[in-house]
Amino acid sequence: MEQPQAPVFTPSPEYLAREKRFNDAIALRKPDRVPLASMASFFMTRYGGLTNAEAMYDYDKMAAAWIAGAQKLNWDMAPPAFTMFPGPVWEKLGIKTFRWPGHDLPENLPYQFVEEEYMLEDEYDEFLSNPADFVIRKMMPRMSSTLQPLGILPPLHWLSSGYTLTMFGAALAGAPPIVNMLKQIIEVGEEMSKWNATQARIGMELAQLGYPIITIAFAQAPFDWIGDMFRGLRGVMIDMYRQPDKLKAAIDIFTDFAIQSAIMGAQQSGNPRVFIPLHRGSGGFLSNEQFAEFYWPGLKTLMLALIDAGLTPMPYLEGDYTPRLEFLTELPAGKVLGHFDVIDLKKAKKAIGDVMCFWGNVPASMLVTGNPQQVKDYVKELIDIFGDNGGLIVDGAVDGVPPESKPENVEAMIETVFEYGVS
Amino acid sequence: MSNNQALVDAIVDMREDDALQMAQSTLDAGTDPLAILDDCSEAMEIIGKRFEEGECFVPELIMAGEVLNQITKMVKPKMTTTAKTKKLGKIVFGTVEGDIHDIAKDIVAFMLDINGFEVTDLGVDVPPAKFVDTVQKTGATIVGLSGFLTLAYEPMKETVIALKAAGLDDVKIMIGGGQIDEQIREYTGADAFGKDAMTAVSLAKQWVGVN
Repeated sequence: MEQPQAPVFTPSPEYLAREKRFNDAIALRKPDRVPLASMASFFMTRYGGLTNAEAMYDYDKMAAAWIAGAQKLNWDMAPPAFTMFPGPVWEKLGIKTFRWPGHDLPENLPYQFVEEEYMLEDEYDEFLSNPADFVIRKMMPRMSSTLQPLGILPPLHWLSSGYTLTMFGAALAGAPPIVNMLKQIIEVGEEMSKWNATQARIGMELAQLGYPIITIAFAQAPFDWIGDMFRGLRGVMIDMYRQPDKLKAAIDIFTDFAIQSAIMGAQQSGNPRVFIPLHRGSGGFLSNEQFAEFYWPGLKTLMLALIDAGLTPMPYLEGDYTPRLEFLTELPAGKVLGHFDVIDLKKAKKAIGDVMCFWGNVPASMLVTGNPQQVKDYVKELIDIFGDNGGLIVDGAVDGVPPESKPENVEAMIETVFEYGVS
Repeated sequence: MSNNQALVDAIVDMREDDALQMAQSTLDAGTDPLAILDDCSEAMEIIGKRFEEGECFVPELIMAGEVLNQITKMVKPKMTTTAKTKKLGKIVFGTVEGDIHDIAKDIVAFMLDINGFEVTDLGVDVPPAKFVDTVQKTGATIVGLSGFLTLAYEPMKETVIALKAAGLDDVKIMIGGGQIDEQIREYTGADAFGKDAMTAVSLAKQWVGVN
C-alpha cells in the first residue's frame, strides 16, 4: 500500500532545545532547566473554555483549545490530544466499555471506563486456544452493540476453504444483521478518519510552533490488560487463586502484544516514548510476593524489550509505589521515565534517584483544591530533592494535571519551575 | 473461640475447596449452621487484622468474601433460627454523584457488613439528596462517601453540606478513594478519610464506641 507523503517538518531551535532538555532529564544528565510536561487531558480543553462534551464532539474546537493551551502553558512537551476520544465514533460503535459526557454523562464529567467481566471465569480455555476467534466472536459483541452481529459468525477457522468461505462467509455477508453492521462499520471508519486527521493536524501545528508531543505509542502492563479489559478487578484477583496458570498464560499472550503494538506505534509516529499507564500494581492492591509473581514479570519484560528497541518506556505508576521501589531498581539507569503519584519522596530519591528520572507529582488534591503558595512550596521541595542530578520532570500526580485543577495553581507550578528550576 | 478450627484455618489460608468441603461435612453432621457462620466471622476477623498489618491484601479480601458467600448460601436453607447478633450501628454508603466506580465501594461496604454494621449501599452516582433521605429513613449515624476520580471532590463537599443543612450534624462522615487525602477531608468538611477498607472499619467502630 502506498503511504501518504508526510508533510515536511524542519524542527526549530526551540523545538530541538525542548527535546534536548526532556531527553537530558530522562538520561539523568542535568538539563539547562527542569523540564515541565503533563499528560493533561480535559484540563487542556477546560482551560480553553470548552465543556468536556464539546471536547469530545467538536474536533475543531478541541484542536484550537489544545494548541492555544499548549502555547499558553508553555510546557516543554505538549500533551497528546489522543486522550480526547471521539464521542461520535464511540456512539457509532455503540461502545459499552465507556460512559461519557455528551452521551450518557453530564457535559462536564470526564469519560469513565465501565469495568465488567468481558471474559467470564470459565472462558480462559476458549480464549487461550484461539485468542483472535474469542475476541471477535465473544468479546466484541459484549463490548459494542454495533458489533453484536459478530456473535453469529461461525468459528473463523471454518472459513479456511473456498467452499466454506462461500457457504458460510459470503452467505453471512448477505444476512441483514451483518449487512447493517458493515454499513455502520464504514460510518465508524469515516468518522474516525476525521478525528485522526485532527490529531495529525494538532501534532504538526504544535511541532511547527516548537512543541514536541510527549508520546503517541501506548502499552499496558499485561496483568492490567487482563484485569481491566477482560476480567475486572474481582475476576482477576479470584483467578490468582483459582486458576493462576491460565491467568499467567493470558498475561504471556498480552506481553507479546504489548511489546509489538508499542514498537509499531513508536515506529509509525516517529515518537520514541511509550506511555504505560499502570493500575493494579501499586501498594495496597497486591502483596510484594503477588506483584513479583503476577505483575512485575510481564511489565519488566515489556520495558526491557522497549529499551532494547531504542525506545523510552514511561510507566505511569498510579497509586502508592513506595512498597515497590526495590523492583524498580532492577531497570537500567537513565532509560526509563517514571511518572509517580503517591510516593515517599525521600525514599524514592534514595532508591531510584540514580536509576530513573522522576516525573510528577504535585498532588491532585492540591492542584484542585489548594492554593498557589502550597503548589510553589511543593515544587520547590521536588526540585530540592530530585534536581541535583537532573533526573526530574515536574507535573501533577496521578493523571498529570487533573481536569478540575484551578488554573492559578497550574500556573504557579509552571512559574516556580521557571524561577527555581534553572541550573 | 472457634467451633471448628480447621474450617477457620482453611478460610484464612485461602484454601477454598477445603473450606467448602469442611463446611459441608460439618453441616451434614448436624452442626448448628450458626456455629459455622461464627467460624466464618472469626476467619474474616483474622483476615481483616492481617490486612491492617499489611500481611494480606485486596485479593485475600475478595477471595475470602467469595468463600464466605458460598458457605452462607450453603447453610441458609438449614437455618431454623436467624442470628440475633446485635448490629454495631447503621451506615449509609455510596459512590458520590458523577462517579460510576463501584469496586472499592463494594469492598469497603462488604468489610463493614461482615464486621457487624448494617450497611445501606446506595450504589454509584448517588446525588446528595439521596444520602440525606436515606440517613433520615434509616436513622444511620455514619455516612461513607466513595469516589475514584478527582471529579468526586466537589460532590463529596456538596453531600457533606447537604447533610449538615438537613440538620444531621451528629452524623459522622468518612470519605475514601484513590485521590483522597487530608487536604480533601478538610476541603469537603468530612470527619475522616480512610485509605482502605479496614481503616473504614476502625473508624466506624471508633465512632460507635467499640474496639
